[in-house]
Amino acid sequence: MALSKHFVTMTVNGAERSLHVDSTDSLMDILRDRLDLKSVKDGCRSGDCGLCAVLLDGKLVNSCLVLAAQCRGSVVTTLEGLVEDPLMKVLQQKFLKYNAAQCGFCTPAMLVAAKDIVSKNAKPSEDEVRLGISGILCRCTGYYPIFHAILEAAEERKP
Amino acid sequence: MPGYDIYVPTDLRDALSYLDDLGEATSIIARGTDLLPRLRRRRASAASLLDISGLGGDLRYIRSQDGSLHVGALSTVSDLMESPLIGREMELVREAGRKFGDPQIRNVATVGGNICSATSSEDLIPVFLALDARVKLLSLKGERALPLKDFIKGKRTISKKSGEILSGVELGPLPANSGSAYEKLGRRNILIIALVNEAVVLTMEADRETVRAARVALNRVAGRVPQRASAVEEYLAGRRLGADTIAAAQAVLSSELDLKNDFRASGEYRSEIAKVYLKRLLELSAFRIRGT
Repeated sequence: MALSKHFVTMTVNGAERSLHVDSTDSLMDILRDRLDLKSVKDGCRSGDCGLCAVLLDGKLVNSCLVLAAQCRGSVVTTLEGLVEDPLMKVLQQKFLKYNAAQCGFCTPAMLVAAKDIVSKNAKPSEDEVRLGISGILCRCTGYYPIFHAILEAAEERKP
Repeated sequence: MPGYDIYVPTDLRDALSYLDDLGEATSIIARGTDLLPRLRRRRASAASLLDISGLGGDLRYIRSQDGSLHVGALSTVSDLMESPLIGREMELVREAGRKFGDPQIRNVATVGGNICSATSSEDLIPVFLALDARVKLLSLKGERALPLKDFIKGKRTISKKSGEILSGVELGPLPANSGSAYEKLGRRNILIIALVNEAVVLTMEADRETVRAARVALNRVAGRVPQRASAVEEYLAGRRLGADTIAAAQAVLSSELDLKNDFRASGEYRSEIAKVYLKRLLELSAFRIRGT
């Protein structure tokens, strides 16, 4: 079976990366296995759990459902690229305060989604927060601590 | 996952030439939210994929032209939801967007992909059917347009000829005194295949009491593809939209629906929900037209 190779250059967490990828590689495969960005979790590989969520050209996407070969010229941001972000620092403090990480497996995706919610909308309503994280599964079902942590982070950040 | 070759065209013309050469031997991939899981589960196979995701310059647009709305095939569901060109009369587009997939899926799933997947689980299809959408198909031979209801032939069957690419859809124009609404029921609210997915576009006469035209589309009417409920539409046309009319329209819908049981729900349950939604959507559309 033909399996083409593609030369892809993308900006990952601020650094330009050029790699040869297989036609079947997902962005998640590349981020985890080639670039060692393990905050991106391999949950379902079918777009159901959202644990591989990253920002692709500023939009929250499931990296398992994006073909690496399609990321030519894209800007990709994972949690690793956000640790120095001032909003992320607030979010992390609030996640700690509310004990929003139980087993921790969904935490990176939740944090990236939280950053996406609050940076697009400084005053998200409760519904907007709920809907914003609605595509990310927490199998500990600890949604309330996560929800309160995001709301309080947004509240605190208000000028 | 079985291997496949990806061809990355340099521009739209190159993509059309490639399609013209390979015909049925290649499958078009936009952003892959439907195709990739099916390839991985071996529910679909492809030896060659034509990657059109880089053709956004030509195929990702939302434009208003002569009262119609032109939406490029590569526009995402998020693009639709955020577009200021979707007017109040097309409120159902935003409503459908909010119930479509989840935030990550909405950011990549495309209008063209949703239409070409052509199943009862593609939430935009009933919306576009109710808006009388026309699809535009492009090939080396030129462009043709046809109504969406004629384009969708059956489950995962569309009347796209070899060498053609769906370039976009045209919606409207909606006459004055038009309003719309959308409902979806699944076993949960997010990332779920609809049991019932129903869209209504209502146009009233100037008196805002008499129905000029009602367009009702569901994810299933008979069989397993989205369709218009034409008996209900015919019944409603020209009638004064009161409680009696709506109740009678619900009865017409019941007799028109021919829904089978499947593992998600019984046909009877789907029909009951479709009836309840019809009332709700007609009333909400009328409310949106009247403003009271």
